[in-house]
Amino acid sequence: MIEIIETGPFNTVQDLGRPGYRDIGVSASGAMDPLAVRIGNSLLGNDEGAAVLEIQTFPFCLRFDRRAVFIVSGSDGAPLLDGIEKLSWCAHHAEAGQVLELRQPPKLARAYVCIAGGLDIAPVMGSRSTSLRGGFGGHAGRPLQKGDRIAIGDDASLLAVPPSGLAVVEPLVALADVFPQSTDGAVLVRALPAGEHGLFAEDGAAFWNQTWRISARSDRTGYRLSGDPIMPTDVVEMRSHGVVPGVIQVPPGGEPIVQMSDANTAGGYPKIAGVIECDLWRLGQARIGSRLRFVRSTHAQARAVEQAVARYIEDVKVTSGMVKRALKAFA
Amino acid sequence: MTSIDLTDPQTIAFLTDALTTAGVDGVEISGPSGTLRIIMSAEEKVSHAAPAPSPALSIKAPMAGIFCPPRPGSSEVPADLPRTVAAGQALGFLRLGPVLLPLAAPKAGLLTRQFVEAGALVGFGDTLFQIEPQS
Repeated sequence: MIEIIETGPFNTVQDLGRPGYRDIGVSASGAMDPLAVRIGNSLLGNDEGAAVLEIQTFPFCLRFDRRAVFIVSGSDGAPLLDGIEKLSWCAHHAEAGQVLELRQPPKLARAYVCIAGGLDIAPVMGSRSTSLRGGFGGHAGRPLQKGDRIAIGDDASLLAVPPSGLAVVEPLVALADVFPQSTDGAVLVRALPAGEHGLFAEDGAAFWNQTWRISARSDRTGYRLSGDPIMPTDVVEMRSHGVVPGVIQVPPGGEPIVQMSDANTAGGYPKIAGVIECDLWRLGQARIGSRLRFVRSTHAQARAVEQAVARYIEDVKVTSGMVKRALKAFA
Repeated sequence: MTSIDLTDPQTIAFLTDALTTAGVDGVEISGPSGTLRIIMSAEEKVSHAAPAPSPALSIKAPMAGIFCPPRPGSSEVPADLPRTVAAGQALGFLRLGPVLLPLAAPKAGLLTRQFVEAGALVGFGDTLFQIEPQS
Protein backbone atom coordinates (compact mmCIF):
# COMPACT_ATOMS: atom_id res chain seq x y z
CA MET A 1 0.00 0.00 0.00
CA ILE A 2 0.91 3.64 -0.37
CA GLU A 3 -0.82 6.32 1.65
CA ILE A 4 -1.27 9.86 0.39
CA ILE A 5 -0.24 12.17 3.21
CA GLU A 6 -0.24 15.50 1.37
CA THR A 7 -1.61 16.50 -2.02
CA GLY A 8 -2.79 19.51 -3.98
CA PRO A 9 -5.91 19.41 -6.18
CA PHE A 10 -6.21 17.44 -9.43
CA ASN A 11 -3.55 14.83 -8.83
CA THR A 12 -4.86 11.56 -10.23
CA VAL A 13 -4.16 7.93 -11.05
CA GLN A 14 -3.40 7.65 -14.77
CA ASP A 15 -2.14 5.18 -17.34
CA LEU A 16 -1.95 5.41 -21.13
CA GLY A 17 -5.67 6.10 -21.45
CA ARG A 18 -8.95 4.57 -22.45
CA PRO A 19 -9.20 4.69 -26.22
CA GLY A 20 -12.02 3.14 -28.18
CA TYR A 21 -15.08 4.46 -26.36
CA ARG A 22 -15.45 7.91 -27.85
CA ASP A 23 -18.54 6.73 -29.74
CA ILE A 24 -20.33 6.43 -26.41
CA GLY A 25 -18.96 9.74 -25.14
CA VAL A 26 -16.04 8.44 -23.07
CA SER A 27 -12.93 10.66 -23.17
CA ALA A 28 -9.58 9.02 -23.71
CA SER A 29 -8.07 10.28 -20.40
CA GLY A 30 -4.56 9.02 -19.64
CA ALA A 31 -1.31 10.74 -18.67
CA MET A 32 -0.54 14.18 -20.10
CA ASP A 33 3.08 12.99 -20.51
CA PRO A 34 2.62 9.40 -21.70
CA LEU A 35 6.32 9.14 -22.60
CA ALA A 36 7.30 9.60 -18.92
CA VAL A 37 4.87 6.82 -17.98
CA ARG A 38 6.15 4.43 -20.64
CA ILE A 39 9.80 5.02 -19.70
CA GLY A 40 9.20 4.86 -15.93
CA ASN A 41 7.29 1.60 -16.20
CA SER A 42 9.75 0.11 -18.71
CA LEU A 43 12.74 0.78 -16.44
CA LEU A 44 10.95 -0.94 -13.54
CA GLY A 45 10.00 -3.93 -15.70
CA ASN A 46 6.27 -3.13 -15.52
CA ASP A 47 3.99 -3.16 -18.54
CA GLU A 48 4.52 0.27 -20.06
CA GLY A 49 0.87 1.10 -19.45
CA ALA A 50 0.78 0.19 -15.72
CA ALA A 51 -1.11 2.68 -13.53
CA VAL A 52 0.92 5.53 -12.00
CA LEU A 53 0.28 8.75 -10.10
CA GLU A 54 0.17 11.95 -12.13
CA ILE A 55 1.20 14.86 -9.91
CA GLN A 56 0.55 18.36 -11.22
CA THR A 57 0.07 20.31 -7.98
CA PHE A 58 2.76 20.37 -5.32
CA PRO A 59 3.98 19.61 -2.72
CA PHE A 60 2.86 16.00 -2.76
CA CYS A 61 3.80 13.36 -0.18
CA LEU A 62 3.13 9.67 0.10
CA ARG A 63 4.25 6.98 2.54
CA PHE A 64 5.17 3.44 1.55
CA ASP A 65 3.86 0.87 3.98
CA ARG A 66 5.99 -1.90 2.50
CA ARG A 67 9.29 -2.15 0.67
CA ALA A 68 8.86 -0.92 -2.88
CA VAL A 69 10.84 0.20 -5.89
CA PHE A 70 9.73 3.49 -7.42
CA ILE A 71 10.76 6.02 -10.04
CA VAL A 72 9.75 9.65 -10.43
CA SER A 73 9.72 10.41 -14.15
CA GLY A 74 8.68 13.38 -16.26
CA SER A 75 9.93 15.89 -13.72
CA ASP A 76 13.07 17.98 -14.01
CA GLY A 77 13.24 18.26 -10.20
CA ALA A 78 14.65 15.90 -7.59
CA PRO A 79 12.21 14.01 -5.33
CA LEU A 80 12.96 13.59 -1.61
CA LEU A 81 12.93 10.23 0.17
CA ASP A 82 12.79 10.83 3.92
CA GLY A 83 14.14 14.30 3.21
CA ILE A 84 17.12 13.14 1.16
CA GLU A 85 17.32 14.26 -2.47
CA LYS A 86 17.10 11.43 -4.99
CA LEU A 87 17.64 11.43 -8.71
CA SER A 88 14.61 11.75 -10.95
CA TRP A 89 14.28 9.36 -13.91
CA CYS A 90 15.91 6.78 -11.62
CA ALA A 91 14.50 3.66 -9.96
CA HIS A 92 15.12 3.65 -6.19
CA HIS A 93 14.39 1.29 -3.32
CA ALA A 94 12.09 2.53 -0.55
CA GLU A 95 11.70 0.85 2.82
CA ALA A 96 8.40 0.43 4.65
CA GLY A 97 7.53 3.71 6.37
CA GLN A 98 9.63 5.95 4.12
CA VAL A 99 8.06 9.15 2.82
CA LEU A 100 8.42 10.31 -0.78
CA GLU A 101 8.01 14.04 -1.34
CA LEU A 102 7.65 15.80 -4.69
CA ARG A 103 8.23 19.53 -4.93
CA GLN A 104 7.30 21.87 -7.77
CA PRO A 105 9.52 20.97 -10.73
CA PRO A 106 11.81 23.88 -11.75
CA LYS A 107 10.52 24.23 -15.30
CA LEU A 108 8.10 21.44 -16.17
CA ALA A 109 4.47 20.86 -15.28
CA ARG A 110 4.02 17.24 -14.25
CA ALA A 111 5.75 14.42 -12.40
CA TYR A 112 4.84 10.73 -12.45
CA VAL A 113 5.31 8.28 -9.60
CA CYS A 114 5.69 4.80 -11.07
CA ILE A 115 5.97 1.84 -8.69
CA ALA A 116 7.26 -1.66 -9.48
CA GLY A 117 4.19 -3.88 -9.79
CA GLY A 118 2.02 -0.90 -10.79
CA LEU A 119 -0.92 0.49 -8.82
CA ASP A 120 -3.33 -2.37 -8.15
CA ILE A 121 -6.60 -0.83 -9.29
CA ALA A 122 -9.48 -2.51 -11.10
CA PRO A 123 -9.59 -1.39 -14.73
CA VAL A 124 -12.74 0.20 -16.12
CA MET A 125 -13.24 -0.25 -19.87
CA GLY A 126 -9.68 -1.48 -20.22
CA SER A 127 -7.98 1.37 -18.36
CA ARG A 128 -7.01 2.42 -14.83
CA SER A 129 -6.92 6.11 -15.70
CA THR A 130 -9.17 8.50 -13.83
CA SER A 131 -12.04 9.92 -15.90
CA LEU A 132 -12.73 13.15 -14.02
CA ARG A 133 -15.62 14.02 -16.31
CA GLY A 134 -17.27 10.64 -15.87
CA GLY A 135 -16.29 10.20 -12.22
CA PHE A 136 -14.98 6.67 -12.73
CA GLY A 137 -11.69 4.85 -13.11
CA GLY A 138 -8.46 5.50 -11.18
CA HIS A 139 -8.86 5.87 -7.43
CA ALA A 140 -12.62 6.14 -6.73
CA GLY A 141 -13.11 8.12 -9.93
CA ARG A 142 -11.77 11.31 -8.36
CA PRO A 143 -8.54 13.23 -7.67
CA LEU A 144 -6.33 11.98 -4.84
CA GLN A 145 -7.05 13.14 -1.30
CA LYS A 146 -5.05 13.07 1.89
CA GLY A 147 -5.51 9.69 3.58
CA ASP A 148 -6.16 7.74 0.36
CA ARG A 149 -4.59 4.30 0.43
CA ILE A 150 -3.76 2.57 -2.85
CA ALA A 151 -2.56 -1.01 -3.25
CA ILE A 152 0.67 -1.83 -5.09
CA GLY A 153 0.63 -4.74 -7.54
CA ASP A 154 2.78 -7.85 -7.15
CA ASP A 155 6.41 -7.17 -8.09
CA ALA A 156 7.87 -10.55 -7.03
CA SER A 157 8.36 -11.72 -10.61
CA LEU A 158 10.27 -8.58 -11.71
CA LEU A 159 14.05 -8.53 -12.05
CA ALA A 160 15.68 -6.81 -9.07
CA VAL A 161 16.78 -3.19 -9.43
CA PRO A 162 20.39 -2.77 -8.15
CA PRO A 163 20.66 -1.35 -4.59
CA SER A 164 22.11 1.96 -5.80
CA GLY A 165 19.30 2.33 -8.33
CA LEU A 166 18.98 2.36 -12.10
CA ALA A 167 18.46 5.49 -14.18
CA VAL A 168 17.75 6.39 -17.80
CA VAL A 169 19.03 9.08 -20.09
CA GLU A 170 15.88 11.21 -20.18
CA PRO A 171 14.07 11.60 -23.50
CA LEU A 172 15.00 15.23 -24.24
CA VAL A 173 18.68 14.21 -23.94
CA ALA A 174 18.51 10.74 -25.51
CA LEU A 175 16.26 11.97 -28.33
CA ALA A 176 17.78 15.45 -28.72
CA ASP A 177 17.86 15.06 -32.50
CA VAL A 178 14.20 13.96 -32.56
CA PHE A 179 12.70 16.70 -30.36
CA PRO A 180 13.91 20.12 -31.53
CA GLN A 181 14.56 22.80 -28.91
CA SER A 182 14.19 26.49 -29.65
CA THR A 183 16.86 29.00 -28.72
CA ASP A 184 14.39 31.37 -27.02
CA GLY A 185 12.81 28.84 -24.64
CA ALA A 186 9.49 28.52 -26.52
CA VAL A 187 8.30 24.92 -26.78
CA LEU A 188 8.26 23.70 -30.38
CA VAL A 189 5.21 21.57 -31.13
CA ARG A 190 4.83 19.89 -34.49
CA ALA A 191 1.39 19.80 -36.07
CA LEU A 192 -0.33 18.83 -39.30
CA PRO A 193 -2.87 21.06 -41.10
CA ALA A 194 -6.40 19.82 -40.29
CA GLY A 195 -9.85 19.90 -41.90
CA GLU A 196 -10.57 23.64 -41.86
CA HIS A 197 -7.00 24.86 -42.35
CA GLY A 198 -8.04 26.27 -45.73
CA LEU A 199 -10.43 28.74 -44.05
CA PHE A 200 -7.48 30.72 -42.71
CA ALA A 201 -5.75 33.30 -44.89
CA GLU A 202 -2.27 32.89 -46.35
CA ASP A 203 -2.15 29.21 -45.58
CA GLY A 204 -2.66 29.84 -41.86
CA ALA A 205 0.44 32.07 -41.62
CA ALA A 206 -0.87 33.91 -38.54
CA PHE A 207 -1.27 30.59 -36.73
CA TRP A 208 2.08 29.07 -37.67
CA ASN A 209 4.22 32.18 -37.38
CA GLN A 210 3.33 33.55 -33.98
CA THR A 211 4.48 32.59 -30.52
CA TRP A 212 1.46 31.59 -28.40
CA ARG A 213 1.17 31.70 -24.65
CA ILE A 214 -0.58 28.98 -22.63
CA SER A 215 -3.35 30.83 -20.79
CA ALA A 216 -4.52 30.26 -17.22
CA ARG A 217 -7.69 28.67 -18.62
CA SER A 218 -5.80 25.47 -19.40
CA ASP A 219 -6.07 22.06 -17.80
CA ARG A 220 -6.14 18.35 -18.65
CA THR A 221 -9.15 18.96 -20.92
CA GLY A 222 -7.48 21.50 -23.15
CA TYR A 223 -5.03 24.36 -23.42
CA ARG A 224 -6.41 27.76 -24.37
CA LEU A 225 -3.73 29.81 -26.07
CA SER A 226 -3.44 33.57 -25.99
CA GLY A 227 -1.98 35.68 -28.77
CA ASP A 228 -3.16 37.70 -31.77
CA PRO A 229 -6.58 36.24 -32.69
CA ILE A 230 -6.76 34.40 -35.99
CA MET A 231 -10.00 34.63 -37.93
CA PRO A 232 -11.31 32.43 -40.73
CA THR A 233 -11.96 34.23 -44.01
CA ASP A 234 -15.47 32.74 -44.02
CA VAL A 235 -17.84 32.15 -41.13
CA VAL A 236 -18.91 28.54 -41.35
CA GLU A 237 -21.60 26.66 -39.49
CA MET A 238 -20.29 23.22 -38.69
CA ARG A 239 -21.95 20.16 -37.29
CA SER A 240 -20.33 18.66 -34.19
CA HIS A 241 -17.77 16.09 -35.14
CA GLY A 242 -15.38 13.76 -33.37
CA VAL A 243 -12.41 15.33 -31.59
CA VAL A 244 -9.24 13.67 -30.29
CA PRO A 245 -6.38 14.90 -28.08
CA GLY A 246 -4.09 17.11 -30.15
CA VAL A 247 -6.81 18.71 -32.26
CA ILE A 248 -6.40 22.49 -32.42
CA GLN A 249 -9.69 24.33 -32.74
CA VAL A 250 -10.29 28.00 -33.42
CA PRO A 251 -13.38 29.29 -31.56
CA PRO A 252 -15.06 32.55 -32.65
CA GLY A 253 -12.72 34.63 -30.43
CA GLY A 254 -9.79 33.53 -32.60
CA GLU A 255 -7.55 32.18 -29.84
CA PRO A 256 -6.87 28.48 -30.43
CA ILE A 257 -7.71 25.60 -28.07
CA VAL A 258 -5.54 22.48 -28.08
CA GLN A 259 -7.51 19.44 -26.94
CA MET A 260 -5.61 17.42 -24.33
CA SER A 261 -6.02 14.05 -22.53
CA ASP A 262 -9.48 14.74 -21.06
CA ALA A 263 -10.71 16.22 -24.36
CA ASN A 264 -14.39 16.27 -25.14
CA THR A 265 -15.32 13.53 -27.57
CA ALA A 266 -16.99 15.94 -30.01
CA GLY A 267 -16.85 19.61 -30.90
CA GLY A 268 -17.99 22.03 -33.56
CA TYR A 269 -15.26 24.65 -33.89
CA PRO A 270 -13.16 24.77 -37.06
CA LYS A 271 -9.95 22.71 -36.76
CA ILE A 272 -6.85 24.47 -38.05
CA ALA A 273 -4.32 21.76 -37.20
CA GLY A 274 -3.58 18.65 -35.16
CA VAL A 275 -0.53 18.13 -32.91
CA ILE A 276 1.41 15.00 -33.85
CA GLU A 277 0.88 12.35 -31.17
CA CYS A 278 4.58 12.05 -30.24
CA ASP A 279 4.78 15.78 -29.43
CA LEU A 280 1.73 15.84 -27.12
CA TRP A 281 3.91 15.09 -24.10
CA ARG A 282 5.85 18.28 -24.64
CA LEU A 283 2.59 20.23 -24.40
CA GLY A 284 1.66 18.13 -21.36
CA GLN A 285 4.88 19.29 -19.68
CA ALA A 286 4.43 22.95 -20.66
CA ARG A 287 3.27 25.10 -17.78
CA ILE A 288 0.59 27.76 -17.79
CA GLY A 289 2.22 31.01 -18.93
CA SER A 290 4.87 29.31 -21.05
CA ARG A 291 5.30 30.09 -24.73
CA LEU A 292 5.04 27.76 -27.67
CA ARG A 293 5.23 27.77 -31.43
CA PHE A 294 3.68 25.30 -33.84
CA VAL A 295 5.95 23.83 -36.47
CA ARG A 296 4.30 22.58 -39.64
CA SER A 297 5.07 18.90 -39.99
CA THR A 298 4.29 16.01 -42.32
CA HIS A 299 2.83 12.55 -41.85
CA ALA A 300 6.21 11.09 -42.80
CA GLN A 301 7.97 13.13 -40.12
CA ALA A 302 5.35 12.20 -37.51
CA ARG A 303 5.90 8.54 -38.36
CA ALA A 304 9.69 8.91 -38.14
CA VAL A 305 9.41 10.51 -34.68
CA GLU A 306 7.09 7.71 -33.55
CA GLN A 307 9.59 5.09 -34.73
CA ALA A 308 12.52 6.82 -33.00
CA VAL A 309 10.56 6.98 -29.73
CA ALA A 310 9.56 3.30 -30.04
CA ARG A 311 13.22 2.31 -30.60
CA TYR A 312 14.31 4.28 -27.54
CA ILE A 313 11.66 2.68 -25.30
CA GLU A 314 12.49 -0.79 -26.61
CA ASP A 315 16.17 -0.07 -25.91
CA VAL A 316 15.30 0.98 -22.32
CA LYS A 317 13.38 -2.28 -21.82
CA VAL A 318 16.03 -4.57 -23.28
CA THR A 319 19.09 -2.83 -21.82
CA SER A 320 17.65 -2.36 -18.31
CA GLY A 321 16.73 -6.07 -18.24
CA MET A 322 20.24 -6.98 -19.37
CA VAL A 323 21.88 -4.75 -16.71
CA LYS A 324 19.66 -6.19 -13.95
CA ARG A 325 20.47 -9.77 -15.00
CA ALA A 326 24.21 -9.05 -15.27
CA LEU A 327 24.41 -7.45 -11.82
CA LYS A 328 22.42 -10.33 -10.32
CA ALA A 329 24.96 -12.76 -11.85
CA PHE A 330 27.97 -10.77 -10.56
CA ALA A 331 26.49 -10.31 -7.08
CA MET B 1 77.17 -5.09 -11.99
CA THR B 2 79.50 -4.44 -9.08
CA SER B 3 78.87 -6.64 -6.11
CA ILE B 4 78.58 -4.89 -2.76
CA ASP B 5 80.19 -6.27 0.33
CA LEU B 6 77.31 -7.14 2.63
CA THR B 7 79.67 -7.62 5.53
CA ASP B 8 80.96 -4.03 5.35
CA PRO B 9 79.65 -2.13 8.42
CA GLN B 10 79.53 1.11 6.36
CA THR B 11 77.26 -0.50 3.78
CA ILE B 12 75.01 -1.86 6.52
CA ALA B 13 74.82 1.55 8.19
CA PHE B 14 74.01 3.22 4.84
CA LEU B 15 71.24 0.72 4.09
CA THR B 16 69.80 1.10 7.59
CA ASP B 17 69.67 4.87 7.24
CA ALA B 18 68.00 4.52 3.84
CA LEU B 19 65.35 2.15 5.28
CA THR B 20 64.70 4.50 8.21
CA THR B 21 64.24 7.47 5.87
CA ALA B 22 61.90 5.50 3.63
CA GLY B 23 59.90 4.20 6.60
CA VAL B 24 60.41 0.63 5.41
CA ASP B 25 60.11 -2.24 7.92
CA GLY B 26 63.14 -4.19 6.69
CA VAL B 27 65.04 -5.69 3.80
CA GLU B 28 66.63 -9.01 2.93
CA ILE B 29 69.46 -9.20 0.37
CA SER B 30 70.93 -12.49 -0.80
CA GLY B 31 74.22 -12.74 -2.65
CA PRO B 32 77.08 -15.17 -3.27
CA SER B 33 78.76 -14.06 -0.06
CA GLY B 34 75.71 -14.72 2.06
CA THR B 35 72.46 -13.10 3.15
CA LEU B 36 71.93 -9.79 4.88
CA ARG B 37 68.69 -9.16 6.72
CA ILE B 38 67.99 -5.80 8.29
CA ILE B 39 64.84 -5.51 10.39
CA MET B 40 63.96 -2.12 11.83
CA SER B 41 63.26 -2.28 15.57
CA ALA B 42 59.69 -1.73 16.80
CA GLU B 43 60.65 1.57 18.48
CA GLU B 44 62.24 2.86 15.29
CA LYS B 45 59.17 1.94 13.32
CA VAL B 46 56.76 3.74 15.64
CA SER B 47 58.88 6.85 15.85
CA HIS B 48 59.43 7.12 12.13
CA ALA B 49 56.13 5.85 10.74
CA ALA B 50 53.95 8.45 9.00
CA PRO B 51 50.53 8.99 10.61
CA ALA B 52 48.38 6.02 9.61
CA PRO B 53 46.36 7.03 6.52
CA SER B 54 42.65 6.29 6.80
CA PRO B 55 41.96 3.22 4.70
CA ALA B 56 40.93 4.51 1.26
CA LEU B 57 37.93 2.92 -0.42
CA SER B 58 38.02 2.16 -4.11
CA ILE B 59 34.85 2.35 -6.14
CA LYS B 60 35.07 -0.16 -8.96
CA ALA B 61 32.99 -0.57 -12.08
CA PRO B 62 30.27 -3.18 -11.36
CA MET B 63 30.12 -3.94 -15.09
CA ALA B 64 31.38 -2.63 -18.40
CA GLY B 65 30.04 0.69 -19.66
CA ILE B 66 30.79 4.26 -20.65
CA PHE B 67 31.96 6.30 -17.67
CA CYS B 68 29.85 9.47 -17.21
CA PRO B 69 30.81 11.51 -14.12
CA PRO B 70 27.94 14.02 -14.55
CA ARG B 71 24.63 12.65 -15.81
CA PRO B 72 24.33 12.99 -19.61
CA GLY B 73 22.43 16.16 -20.39
CA SER B 74 23.18 17.68 -16.99
CA SER B 75 24.61 21.17 -17.02
CA GLU B 76 26.09 20.59 -13.58
CA VAL B 77 29.86 20.93 -13.42
CA PRO B 78 31.29 18.61 -10.75
CA ALA B 79 33.28 20.41 -8.05
CA ASP B 80 37.07 19.98 -8.00
CA LEU B 81 38.63 17.12 -6.06
CA PRO B 82 38.97 16.49 -3.23
CA ARG B 83 35.37 17.13 -2.22
CA THR B 84 33.12 15.70 0.46
CA VAL B 85 30.42 13.25 -0.57
CA ALA B 86 27.48 11.78 1.32
CA ALA B 87 26.88 8.06 1.75
CA GLY B 88 24.79 6.80 -1.15
CA GLN B 89 25.44 9.91 -3.27
CA ALA B 90 25.83 9.15 -6.98
CA LEU B 91 29.46 9.98 -7.86
CA GLY B 92 28.84 9.25 -11.50
CA PHE B 93 27.21 6.76 -13.84
CA LEU B 94 28.02 3.91 -16.15
CA ARG B 95 26.10 4.37 -19.36
CA LEU B 96 24.84 1.39 -21.35
CA GLY B 97 22.77 2.69 -24.26
CA PRO B 98 19.90 4.67 -22.71
CA VAL B 99 20.41 3.10 -19.25
CA LEU B 100 22.54 4.69 -16.52
CA LEU B 101 23.90 2.71 -13.59
CA PRO B 102 24.54 5.08 -10.66
CA LEU B 103 27.92 4.67 -8.92
CA ALA B 104 27.07 5.36 -5.30
CA ALA B 105 29.50 6.38 -2.57
CA PRO B 106 29.55 3.41 -0.14
CA LYS B 107 30.34 5.75 2.78
CA ALA B 108 30.46 9.46 3.52
CA GLY B 109 33.93 10.85 3.06
CA LEU B 110 36.37 12.76 0.95
CA LEU B 111 36.35 11.96 -2.77
CA THR B 112 40.06 12.20 -3.47
CA ARG B 113 40.60 10.69 -6.87
CA GLN B 114 38.89 9.94 -10.14
CA PHE B 115 40.89 7.45 -12.18
CA VAL B 116 39.07 7.50 -15.51
CA GLU B 117 38.30 10.23 -18.02
CA ALA B 118 34.68 11.09 -18.78
CA GLY B 119 33.42 9.17 -21.80
CA ALA B 120 35.93 6.32 -21.43
CA LEU B 121 34.84 2.72 -21.85
CA VAL B 122 35.55 0.87 -18.60
CA GLY B 123 35.53 -2.84 -17.82
CA PHE B 124 34.24 -4.87 -14.90
CA GLY B 125 36.36 -4.19 -11.81
CA ASP B 126 38.16 -1.09 -13.12
CA THR B 127 38.81 1.35 -10.28
CA LEU B 128 36.90 4.58 -10.93
CA PHE B 129 37.06 6.61 -7.71
CA GLN B 130 38.83 6.66 -4.37
CA ILE B 131 37.19 7.85 -1.18
CA GLU B 132 38.75 8.47 2.23
CA PRO B 133 35.93 7.67 4.63
CA GLN B 134 35.15 10.21 7.31
CA SER B 135 33.12 9.53 10.37
